[in-house]
Amino acid sequence: MDAVRLDELARVGLMWRPTGEAALRGPLLRLAEDCDRAFTRLATGWDAREERHPATLPAERLQRVDYLRSFPHQATFAVGMDAAEANLDAFLSGEVVDGSGRVAVTELAPVRDVLTPAACYHLYRAHEGERLTGPLHLSTRNTCFRREREYVPLRRLRTFTMRELVCLGTRAETAAFLAAARARVDRFLELLDLPVRWETATDPFFQPQRNPKALLQRVQPAKHEMTYGDLAIGSANDHHDHFGEGFGIVREGVPAYSACVAFGVERWLYALTDRHGADPAAWPDVVDAAGKAVASTEARA
Amino acid sequence: MRSDEEVLAELRGWVLGKARDLDETALTGRTPLFEERHLRSVHLPELLLLLERLTGAPIDVEDLRPGDFRDLDTIMARFHARERA
Repeated sequence: MDAVRLDELARVGLMWRPTGEAALRGPLLRLAEDCDRAFTRLATGWDAREERHPATLPAERLQRVDYLRSFPHQATFAVGMDAAEANLDAFLSGEVVDGSGRVAVTELAPVRDVLTPAACYHLYRAHEGERLTGPLHLSTRNTCFRREREYVPLRRLRTFTMRELVCLGTRAETAAFLAAARARVDRFLELLDLPVRWETATDPFFQPQRNPKALLQRVQPAKHEMTYGDLAIGSANDHHDHFGEGFGIVREGVPAYSACVAFGVERWLYALTDRHGADPAAWPDVVDAAGKAVASTEARA
Repeated sequence: MRSDEEVLAELRGWVLGKARDLDETALTGRTPLFEERHLRSVHLPELLLLLERLTGAPIDVEDLRPGDFRDLDTIMARFHARERA
């Protein structure tokens, strides 16, 4: 991102740290909150239950769907010091933080938790073992953490905000959810005058040529990204029964299918300000557009 | 070079060995193998090796395309017919 653009965004509330963190205030924060309200509004009619989850997930639970073998390069762990007083004394008698900013740790406590890599993982864990009597629609937002090779303001962040709309049910129920959600998103994008293409994609597996899950995604696409220019600002994902099986969630006697539509809030800020400029007066009313998108797609159905 | 019938018989036998929920009569050439979860991702590497053995030609995973392993008919057309061509 060039300096002029970064300066424009700073004037409307972006505080950027090159280590991959974006803080927001003022107009840009309001736009982020409006985007999140708009994404939530897109779930109108599904009675999507809102859930709010913590920042960490137990690695043992995440491993039920083989997360760490699939994405070890992106995982960030919640780490603490071994609480033994002698260990903490040793830590305090050292440099604590060295000149390069690295913490001069002594003994660490066992690492058991992963910082949320995607918001929806919490939902499958939260509904573990349930026998569903109908489709279950959920909505959640979380701060997500992913390690990347480089970071770019609003485009590629180490910590970012993800809103997800999720359906758990039969294969037909999740397919119907994805089709309807995509239609709503299409209309929403049209109303926002945001040119976006749906592109087939695969998840960023570590060593994909050796990973059976990555191979399967090549021959049976399960992920479609909403792409603005070269930037994926969201995705529609068909998980099949991957999470239903991993977390023992049952629908009609077999592992539940699941699907989600995910929105990367900061990337939407990039797309909207790239398309409509950095002057808040020129930004579209995203919440209103979401309401209209739902109304018009329901009328067509 | 194995005949079509020999390759298909080996493939069917392999699929039936993995897909415990399928019996011989239920498995047709058009049965969606992965979409209906008769086969899972964990079976894919072994299926690739089997196809390489049956056709005598390596398979580059970069060349794999959506739908290549949809069902037995598609697999035969995509991998066995290619080697005979």
